[in-house]
Amino acid sequence: MTLTRRAFLELTAAGGSALVLGFDVFAQAATDFAPNAWVRIDPNGVVTLTVGKVEMGQGVRTSLPMILAEELDADWERIQLVQGMPSAKLRGLGTGGSYSIRAMWMPLRNAAAAAREMLVSAAASKLGVEPASLRTEKGFVIHDATGQRLSYGELTTAAAKLPLPQSPKLKEKFTLVGKRTKRIEGQSIVSGKAVYGLDVRIPDMLYASIERPPKIGGGVRRFDAAKAKQVAGVIDVVQVSRGVAVIARDSWAALRGREALQIEFDNGPHPAWSSEEYEQQLFEAAAKDGISTRTAGDSKTILGSGKQVIEADYVYPFYAHAPVEPMNTVAHVHDGLCEIWSSTQAPNDVQDRCAQLLGIAPEKVSVHTTLVGGGFGRRLGWDYALDAVEVAKAIGKPVMVFWSRADDMQHGYFQAPSVHRMKAVLDEDGLPVLWHHRKVSTYHNARRQVTSAQLQDPEYHRGVSWGVYDVPYAIGAIETAYVYVPTHVPIGPWRAVFAPSSVFARETFFDELAVAGKRDPLKLRLDLLAAAPEIVEAGSLKISRPRLRRVLETVAAKGRWGEKLPKGRGRGLACNVYDGVTHVAYVVDVTAVKGKIRVDKVVCAIDCGLVVNPIGIEQQVEGGVIWGLSSALKGAITIRDGIVQQKSFADFEVLRMNETPLIETHIVGADAPSPYGVGEPTVAPIVPALVNAIYAATGKRVRRLPLA
Amino acid sequence: MVAAPAGESCHRARMPAYKLQLNGREVVVDGVEADMPLLWILRDRLGLTGTKYGCGVGVCGACTILQGGQAVRACQVTASEAAGKRFTTIEGLNDHPCQRAWLEEDVAQCGYCQAGMIMTACALLKNKPRPTAKDIDDALSENVCRCGTYPRIRKAVLLAAKLGAGR
Repeated sequence: MTLTRRAFLELTAAGGSALVLGFDVFAQAATDFAPNAWVRIDPNGVVTLTVGKVEMGQGVRTSLPMILAEELDADWERIQLVQGMPSAKLRGLGTGGSYSIRAMWMPLRNAAAAAREMLVSAAASKLGVEPASLRTEKGFVIHDATGQRLSYGELTTAAAKLPLPQSPKLKEKFTLVGKRTKRIEGQSIVSGKAVYGLDVRIPDMLYASIERPPKIGGGVRRFDAAKAKQVAGVIDVVQVSRGVAVIARDSWAALRGREALQIEFDNGPHPAWSSEEYEQQLFEAAAKDGISTRTAGDSKTILGSGKQVIEADYVYPFYAHAPVEPMNTVAHVHDGLCEIWSSTQAPNDVQDRCAQLLGIAPEKVSVHTTLVGGGFGRRLGWDYALDAVEVAKAIGKPVMVFWSRADDMQHGYFQAPSVHRMKAVLDEDGLPVLWHHRKVSTYHNARRQVTSAQLQDPEYHRGVSWGVYDVPYAIGAIETAYVYVPTHVPIGPWRAVFAPSSVFARETFFDELAVAGKRDPLKLRLDLLAAAPEIVEAGSLKISRPRLRRVLETVAAKGRWGEKLPKGRGRGLACNVYDGVTHVAYVVDVTAVKGKIRVDKVVCAIDCGLVVNPIGIEQQVEGGVIWGLSSALKGAITIRDGIVQQKSFADFEVLRMNETPLIETHIVGADAPSPYGVGEPTVAPIVPALVNAIYAATGKRVRRLPLA
Repeated sequence: MVAAPAGESCHRARMPAYKLQLNGREVVVDGVEADMPLLWILRDRLGLTGTKYGCGVGVCGACTILQGGQAVRACQVTASEAAGKRFTTIEGLNDHPCQRAWLEEDVAQCGYCQAGMIMTACALLKNKPRPTAKDIDDALSENVCRCGTYPRIRKAVLLAAKLGAGR
């Protein structure tokens, strides 16, 4: 990279007396270069980072400035972050896939190092000394020999006239990266001043809420708004694509207006659809071969060898995201322009789709991204922004369209259900010699539809079966496959996306094999990860067995694996490598109390590469554990007669504090050269570790979620 | 929620004004329905958006505020019930030990539910200055967090107690 790093930077002349460097987070080749993030140093010494990455609790507004401050030797107190607005230039703002830090690490360091080098050169000229005699610290260039200090601010004008360094030298030792650093927005959050989408207030803004067809795929046949319009505070009622919108002077009037609407709904093409029947379809389809995603060894011979065959099916339900902030967007459509304020994970998509809806150019649509009150993948959708734009266009005034909690539960998109058909063969020593995993599920359809080319493409199917084809264990014969069972129910990304169901099936079935083969589940994993090669290639992923072994060994030691436990208590284990890069292992302790399961303790070992902010990693482990335990122990989404049956946290229950175990995080692998993601990887292996612990405590094998 | 009684709505012009004590000041709210929840009065009429909407049906705790020293859900208190009473919202806290403890333990992830969490903790500590772990779990289990901040909240409440939140 050293040869071409200069090619990924641009000196922005428009900076005037400020030093402004644009850089590209995505470009793989110099010809792709188009800056989409900027580092700016102003004459007053303030350092500004403009990026599109969205803050939704993952801490990116803290960790990105940390990387910048480190490489620039800036004063942490004088760094600010500006939320980039999407434009033709500023693409790729979507925040998801645990990718922000991983993607920005090098480009951001490169830009910061270039800026630092330019400031040093400017200082060297000014002082008439060699650049090598200067060092930088907290926003100053310092000449130790004479004790002279020049602030970055007083150097920007001269630095901005210098050529970009060919290959800026990157730091080898860090002082800020790796240090426990508190969240930048902490104060605004605890004082109630932080602005989420639902808190946006624009002059003359109205509030609207949409009554939607209860059945998925349904529509509005006709409606009578007379009574709704009599509700005090209701200003107007308009029909939009997804239902009937009541526009009012406040949220309460909009909600009451909705209740007074008289609507005759069209039941749509699937009025009797149920999640139960869909599960039957999944089971029926599990008999098919599907699209092969990985093949190794000779399954046929092994299956005909008369050795012990073990089979099991695992069942995973629909889930909602249920962030505490319901979907909402403010829009104002006027004079051929559209202004949008939204708590979105996908500002570019919001801009493009809203422009498309209005039939105007994307640059006529400005999107202000607020803090996000929980994303979890739901806010990668733009459906709720379109709601706002439609209503705003109809009434010609700024309006916030907000979803009620019930709307949010019933009309979002969902985590896909799946059935996993597992088969294994054990040899005389109880070692697995064959592993078959067939995932039966559906693709994402809420944001983009699958193309006909993708339908037969194994790489596409690997992309929707994380946790299946990338099984890391050394087993003689492996066959993994995907069977597609379409549904009209909207499906989209959910925290950890395709991994949780697959890893639940894989790691629980592995535990079954260990029990059947009378082997310790930890020892069996370590043995099957000790075999050559060290790096397993599965699809485009390269999975490191030694790194996975290391997290297993750590979690086993910290979680006291092998200790004898009293009756009624159990300890379970599971692990996963997410996206080929982040290694996570859990040990979970449970107690069976009067037929109920109490989760006592979770120990995590995680290798997410180089550590940027340890607090951030711990928070994401805690978050991933609680998210996963919620999915296993609490609510799921069910659909009956075409209608989602859950409406709030009363019937889609989530983990509460009194059900939360002690959670202990051990970070290993900080010796890696670069950082990887954390937010999603922590979700997938917690559920199998839990159900394996339940088996250890009770002898009951959980093959269906949720337990409740 | 109660369905709008259709015949009644024409007479809204003569709705009474409601006086309440909010964050140490008297506030007069007029032109609202008697059954309008305080949540929407705070957010949409008074511009106090620190109190969050999470469910509107009293199950998530995001809109928790103090009525006197007790935690109440602003979505479950109507304008007429609020009249004459004393309330504190997150905006009414100033360098409160709970806020300091929350910062010290770096509790927040997305932060959306935290105002409700802090107000619930304030009420708990007012009533039990030295809470046990179970007291904390019982009180805060009324509130939903999807990011998974519960372990840090536990620590923050204990720290807030040490910092004298209950005094």
